[in-house]
Amino acid sequence: MERKAVRNLRLCTKDCLCLYVCPHGATDTEDSIIDVDKCTGCGECAAACPSGAISMVPVQYPPQQPKTEEVKACLNELAQSKSDGEVMAREIAKATDKPGLKRLMKAVERSERLIAEDIMREAGFMLPQGDGSHELLEELISNPPTSDFPSGKAGELLEKL
Amino acid sequence: MRYVCQICGYVYDDEKEQVPFEQLPDSWKCPLCGASKSDFKPEHKERETAEVTVNTEAADMKKLSAGQLAAVCTNLARGCEKQYKPAEAELFNELAAYFTRITPAINDADAETLSRQLQEDIDSYPDVRAVADRNQDRGAARVCVWGEKVTRMLSSLVERYLKEGEQMLADTDIWVCTVCGFVYIGSNPPEACPVCKVPAYKFEKVEGRA
Ligand code: SF4
Ligand code: SF4
Ligand SMILES: [Zn+2]
Ligand SMILES: [Zn+2]
Repeated sequence: MERKAVRNLRLCTKDCLCLYVCPHGATDTEDSIIDVDKCTGCGECAAACPSGAISMVPVQYPPQQPKTEEVKACLNELAQSKSDGEVMAREIAKATDKPGLKRLMKAVERSERLIAEDIMREAGFMLPQGDGSHELLEELISNPPTSDFPSGKAGELLEKL
Repeated sequence: MRYVCQICGYVYDDEKEQVPFEQLPDSWKCPLCGASKSDFKPEHKERETAEVTVNTEAADMKKLSAGQLAAVCTNLARGCEKQYKPAEAELFNELAAYFTRITPAINDADAETLSRQLQEDIDSYPDVRAVADRNQDRGAARVCVWGEKVTRMLSSLVERYLKEGEQMLADTDIWVCTVCGFVYIGSNPPEACPVCKVPAYKFEKVEGRA
């Protein structure tokens, strides 16, 4: 599997061992992001990093585990319910002038979205470059839900992924 | 008798404690996750799930609603972020914003209707879990475990708010786990998320405290 090194800036403590070991100077960049064009995926930097800040990431991901129709159907319905909860919480937060309720509803809104995201991930949308995501983007471009659907952005994604 | 927190799994064992569980005040909270006393259940009282029947029409990608698609797109944006693809993440976030904008409103929502909605979700999790298990889909089973716990916490907090009102939140902050959605009330986030176990820095404070 072809791999490239990526650095997690949050974990990187700037110990700079990766600068010394990279045979191609890919780790020494002004924005701290490892240069993908220079990186050959040898893995030396990841092995040397004392902070575990570098991952060797595959260029191509394997397909997601297949999902059965009934699992997808159940998860989709649960996600719909979570979306309804999110909408309710958003509207309550908007309408109320009670500061406590407003904050609690913002928390519920955020939480319900996170739960729905997790559900949809398991319902066939795990990978941005996976088949599910591609089919969805193609479907949205050929049958946009409304006339102002940003088809250009969806097309750009199809090209990039 | 042993009582188990339905959110974090904390066990209150009558034999080891000074006060029997039943005699704890209603204001008592789970020492680990802050859940209410009513979120505890006696150990081993498993609910039986009847054979679940599923209408697979809802599996059709073409039938996804704006609300579902908003979640799909923010999820894919997060997937791109993890792969260090900021431009793609931004595009998915823009699609998500579009879907959030066209998601139909729900009129006259209030804390009571939200509370009922959350209770319905709690009731449907065991069925989804049964379907995940019979398909040997452990990813879907995990979503059920996390989602049910977080939903119970949301429900518990909304219920508490309905009883206690503004004073419940007057002098304290609200934190959301940015990984699983767990909500925590307190001046600091918990050291680890009681549901998904990520460290405190993954929690975000809800802004807007008066
Ligand atoms: S070796 Fe690791 S911690 Fe040090 S600069 Fe490189 S990535 Fe950062
Ligand atoms: S994997 Fe090898 S080539 Fe790529 S950045 Fe690390 S040391 Fe350099
Ligand atoms: Zn608990
Ligand atoms: Zn969590």
